[in-house]
Amino acid sequence: MAATAVTVGRLLRLRAAGAEGHWRRLRGAGLLRGFLQPASADGDAAQRRQVAHFTFQPDPEPLEYGQTQKMNLFQAVTSALDNSLAKDPTAVIFGEDVAFGGVFRCTVGLRDKYGKDRVFNTPLCEQGIVGFGIGIAVTGATAIAEIQFADYIFPAFDQIVNEAAKYRYRSGDLFNCGSLTIRSPWGCVGHGALYHSQSPEAFFAHCPGIKVVIPRSPFQAKGLLLSCIEDKNPCIFFEPKILYRAAVEQVPIEPYNIPLSQAEVIQEGSDVTLVAWGTQVHVVREVASMAHEKLGVSCEVIDLRTIIPWDVDTVCKEECFLNLEAPISRVCGYDTPFPHIFEQFYIPDKWKCYDALRKMINY
Amino acid sequence: MAVAAAAARVWGSSRGLGRVGLLLRRPGARGLARSHPQRQQQHFSSLDDKPQFPGASAEFIDKLEFIQPNVISGIPIYRVMDRQGQIINPSEDPHLPQEKVLKFYKTMTLLNTMDRILYESQRQGRISFYMTNYGEEGTHVGSAAALDSTDLVFGQYREAGVLMYRNYPLELFMAQCYGNVSDLGKGRQMPVHYGCRERHFVTISSPLATQIPQAVGAAYAAKRANANRVIICYFGEGAASEGDAHAGFNFAATLECPIIFFCRNNGYAISTPTSEQYRGDGIAARGPGYGILSIRVDGNDVFAVYNATKEARRRAVAENQPFLIEAMTYRIGHHSTSDDSSAYRSVDEVNYWDKQDHPISRLRHYLQSCGWWDDEQEKAWRKQSRKKVMEAFEQAERKLKPSPSLLFSDVYQEMPTQLRKQQESLARHLQAYGEHYPLDHFEK
Repeated sequence: MAATAVTVGRLLRLRAAGAEGHWRRLRGAGLLRGFLQPASADGDAAQRRQVAHFTFQPDPEPLEYGQTQKMNLFQAVTSALDNSLAKDPTAVIFGEDVAFGGVFRCTVGLRDKYGKDRVFNTPLCEQGIVGFGIGIAVTGATAIAEIQFADYIFPAFDQIVNEAAKYRYRSGDLFNCGSLTIRSPWGCVGHGALYHSQSPEAFFAHCPGIKVVIPRSPFQAKGLLLSCIEDKNPCIFFEPKILYRAAVEQVPIEPYNIPLSQAEVIQEGSDVTLVAWGTQVHVVREVASMAHEKLGVSCEVIDLRTIIPWDVDTVCKEECFLNLEAPISRVCGYDTPFPHIFEQFYIPDKWKCYDALRKMINY
Repeated sequence: MAVAAAAARVWGSSRGLGRVGLLLRRPGARGLARSHPQRQQQHFSSLDDKPQFPGASAEFIDKLEFIQPNVISGIPIYRVMDRQGQIINPSEDPHLPQEKVLKFYKTMTLLNTMDRILYESQRQGRISFYMTNYGEEGTHVGSAAALDSTDLVFGQYREAGVLMYRNYPLELFMAQCYGNVSDLGKGRQMPVHYGCRERHFVTISSPLATQIPQAVGAAYAAKRANANRVIICYFGEGAASEGDAHAGFNFAATLECPIIFFCRNNGYAISTPTSEQYRGDGIAARGPGYGILSIRVDGNDVFAVYNATKEARRRAVAENQPFLIEAMTYRIGHHSTSDDSSAYRSVDEVNYWDKQDHPISRLRHYLQSCGWWDDEQEKAWRKQSRKKVMEAFEQAERKLKPSPSLLFSDVYQEMPTQLRKQQESLARHLQAYGEHYPLDHFEK
């Protein structure tokens, strides 16, 4: 019997290899040469997929948090999650596909390190993921839920807005889900179209009871994510997916916190204030230097970081309305769903921001 | 066994014996047990014929046949007492001590009395809203009694008897309904949205079924903490239509959570009868679809509810798996004080349940036949319980409401600057315009 089984096994493996080999032969050079013409040397610039609309500006290496390591944004997220699970034995991470490491590799290695009861897949159901996370948090344990793309957060909107945000208030502080953090890839990525590019923070910006945080870089991401996880209120942490690999800088290995609800003035200026968050911070940074070069204008650049509760004091004073020399200008995507082939025209790139600034100066 | 082990390596391990078990147990089937070496070298038709799909553990069938959903004779309804309160099968009698059964009875009747008085108080404009529990008292008390007092409860809104069984005082029920200064919820919510941390009863919220996946999360956390607690989650047959219910059942099964899903199937979701809520065999029939052990019970039989919940609790904690109990009952009262159910059902129908199949009457018959209760005690208890409720009611009404400054706290754990500014702004506004606000009824 054993011999039979072994023979069977070997034969199955051979069959599998045979099948693959067949395809390998097909996919080899012959097929490529037969079907695909090589890209021509001239006139195909329009055919190539576009380069990013920004240049990531790393911040100088932080010196006050101990040893640092070169990390991209998804590695910085992994580091924050690793730190959290190491020091908080109640912390668990869950969502779709997190077990093998996640579709953006943010949870690579964590299941092996911390166990399958702490890093696990859930069924494909966002309302379930968030509801389940709320329930964990109600018992006081730390819940870190992943929504695979911010575009898919909407089935969980009821659980977030009607439940998580209101849990403490409606119970008179008898119960809360403060130890819940929801993290989700966010924003344009060059080819994501309607359902892999959305920035839905505005839907949550007027929901008292939750915090919404968006980092601009790996260093910011780790510190802000750790603050979200430790914050005693339910938080949504949106991670700019276009920065996952493109943004690389020195990030401390040990845990550290960047405070929530504090905007950062990353460049002082006296003529115009530019406020942005996430990927757009890098766009407006470049606009600031273009303005300085071409128009002699001094720009203040502010990274908002926390969308709600937001840092009103840093961004404006209530009396500032009478001090403004021009109306506030908003530069954003158009009032359409996020398009695919038209992305370059849709996004608020540096030329549109520069143009708005120029008009503002000449107001 | 060697074959089984080797086959398991080839096919991958599956739940229990799975395909391997089928191969070994059916001598007539083509398979490893019966193939000749010669056949194997040529062609593996015997192996090819077994389904290999990761998604289902099943045999092939060559006859086209749709599975007929069975709603004519659905899942049977477990009961211990008949409608006259007599034990049907003595081996199912839980043989609870007199004191405990009396507590069942007094809890159900006290709840009934409180319901009558608070419903009336809404009619008189004293509280803004109320929901009664008429007819469903058995589902609350039978299940609550079968739990440990520290088991966490997630409710929908018609489970006040669970809190009452856990000795939540009348004063606090009233305080929440009046939103007065004694309300632990700080007057934030409409009446009947009770919550009690001390008694492990999570605060009720109005959106339906949202508590279901939350309860599953809490159960998962309890499992991880080795807490030896079960989580119980109550919901109605209407709420079971929500996506959150599907999410909760599926998560509980896949993540192996110690949770009891307790569905009160009372026949109506406001005006919507069950015939318009679902077409399958109720809620219990859905459980197996998720891989959940399920039972249907007579919700008006407090011992049936007790037995089912007790066994479900024991196994849920021991085996870390969910259980679904569908308690059949009837909503004797209106959906709420905003509803007049005569618009969609007959008085005769309601009277049948009130008079012929009521959890309180059935238990009373049982108590009387045990010699543990009589008409004298009934009269005395009715008077006493009414007096208790009236006293609590009058006190609740006299108390002030909480200070308006409590409008602003607990949004976050800490009060953000902007909110503090708004709080100060309201204080200044009330200084100037206070005469237009009922400040006399509120604490300073």
